[in-house]
Amino acid sequence: MERFVTTFDRVVDDALFWLTDHAAFVFDGIRAVLEGLYDAALWLLMLPPFWAVAGLAGLIGWRVLGPAFGIGSALALAACRAMGLWEETMQTLALVVAASVIALAIGVPLGVLAGLMPRLDRALTPALDLIQTLPPYIYLLPAIALMGYGPATALVATVIVAMPPAIRLTSLGIRQTPAAFLELGQAIGASRGQMLWKIRLPFAVPSIMAGINQSLMMAFGMVVIAGIVGSGGLGETIYGAIRTLDIATSINASIAIVVLTMLLDRLTQATARKP
Amino acid sequence: MESNEVLIDCRSVWKVFGERSREAIGAITGRGLGKQQVLREFGCVVGVSDASLQVRRGEIFCVMGLSGSGKSTLIRLLNRLIEPSLGTVTVKGRDIAAMDAATLRETRARHIGMVFQSVALLPQRTVLENAAFGLEVQGVGREDRNRAAEAALAKVGLSDWIQRYPRELSGGMQQRVGLARALTADPEIILMDEPFSALDPLIRRQLQDEFRQLAKDLGKSAVFITHDLDEAIRIGDRIAIMKDGVIIQDGTAEQIVMNPADQYVVDFVAGISRLHLVKAHSVMIPVDQWRRQWPGVSLDSLPQCSPDADIDALIGKITGTGSDAIAIADNGRIVGVVTTRSLLLGVRGDAEPRAAA
Repeated sequence: MERFVTTFDRVVDDALFWLTDHAAFVFDGIRAVLEGLYDAALWLLMLPPFWAVAGLAGLIGWRVLGPAFGIGSALALAACRAMGLWEETMQTLALVVAASVIALAIGVPLGVLAGLMPRLDRALTPALDLIQTLPPYIYLLPAIALMGYGPATALVATVIVAMPPAIRLTSLGIRQTPAAFLELGQAIGASRGQMLWKIRLPFAVPSIMAGINQSLMMAFGMVVIAGIVGSGGLGETIYGAIRTLDIATSINASIAIVVLTMLLDRLTQATARKP
Repeated sequence: MESNEVLIDCRSVWKVFGERSREAIGAITGRGLGKQQVLREFGCVVGVSDASLQVRRGEIFCVMGLSGSGKSTLIRLLNRLIEPSLGTVTVKGRDIAAMDAATLRETRARHIGMVFQSVALLPQRTVLENAAFGLEVQGVGREDRNRAAEAALAKVGLSDWIQRYPRELSGGMQQRVGLARALTADPEIILMDEPFSALDPLIRRQLQDEFRQLAKDLGKSAVFITHDLDEAIRIGDRIAIMKDGVIIQDGTAEQIVMNPADQYVVDFVAGISRLHLVKAHSVMIPVDQWRRQWPGVSLDSLPQCSPDADIDALIGKITGTGSDAIAIADNGRIVGVVTTRSLLLGVRGDAEPRAAA
């Protein structure tokens, strides 16, 4: 048994090394795409002065959740800047946005397919269970072996962690179309595509929005952990602060993370609840 | 408007539910097994058993039965929302079981509309968009389909509500939208699956009358499912009564009330008022018989009515003229006589022997 385990471990290691030696161009390509996406998001966020970003966030918060939330958001973002963590905060936001965009671009369509095909759903469920039960930093190891230190590795791990809720809740939403409406679609002569776009998806929107919200929250958690692999942003700030026992900085960075998380959570939840 | 063209022809259709339905069907055709035996031997439920019916152009055909009688299954066999286990359903001369997916969609979209008890209005869409949904699915342009939907909504009296959302409407109004949605695609046949059952009695009667009027004005055929015999009588030109998946009797309301096929139907029709249902031709006695009973009275001295006069009118005639009998004249020829005695029996629901033919 022990022999089997060591053999298995060696095979996995060898496979990983083989990939780094022979498939480097693939991972370099993936890395370039991921970093490009991250850089673009960061560039957009850093382009306007900080007060414009804070003001815009405040305005959106006001419109969606009322004046108190709007003013609060703007002030909280200003506090991030006052703590000297503006660039790190925006880096974290860029990471979360880039990872979530990828996770949703894969997760939502996959969830739709799983919702339409019970077999695919049954096949995916154990895989998603596995992803969600393993400790999240496990995903950093193979990613760092294949793509090295930096935001790309953080993004890969974050995408893996953020995808399951989007898949699960999209699939659930698609499967939960009320039977009467499926019957209506059939009786009225709708094609499969029309059934999906005009009947199933509109009913699935609240569930899909909940999935998006959950994915964002998972992404936040992972992006902070990914500070260990040089993701940049608040995660790395905290990791550095822990190594030097700089309690004040770690608290400041934590506050910035809470601000960002609350902001995105409440905003996406509010849009999910709208009819 | 009415002709004898058969739009839906349903012949010896069976629907057996359950994992072993194939075997069960084999046993039904091979060994002539009944419903109870199929359940015992195969664990399969017979939803519809050997049902045959024809719906003609312009006719409203009601299927009346209590819950579990198979009426909802039967109506879904007509547009193949449920596949029949045995038997054939032809719509406008074409076997729908043989249609490929595209032809079936086309048939459902253009020829068979459907209205549901649950209404099933899409909550994210306005009344107008809901009414236009059938044409939208057919790929009709927005302007054309909205025009058709507005016209249909006008027919059901909802012109002022087209930009509202379903949740803003009462149950009765929502069901009118459901009806308008079926009418917008202008199908010849409309399947009505207990559309008014969830409405309160006053609104229900109003919608029943409106529906019948509308269907007749537009020359639509309809299959109307209901658990309410009063509703079936109000709406239907012909009525089929279902029990345990079997059509136990079909005919006009008058035929069913005057000649119930079995005790089940007798119990059902017991509470139904005959006043407007039973016509003179069902309660009259032959002229010869009347002459034998009343040799001294001249036929010409009697007041006259047509064979289609209902009991209410006959009572009015007898009480109004003081005569004991009414001569029934069809195109100037006396075809029978209604006496006070035959009238009273008619009110109770018993026809004189021979007279009910």
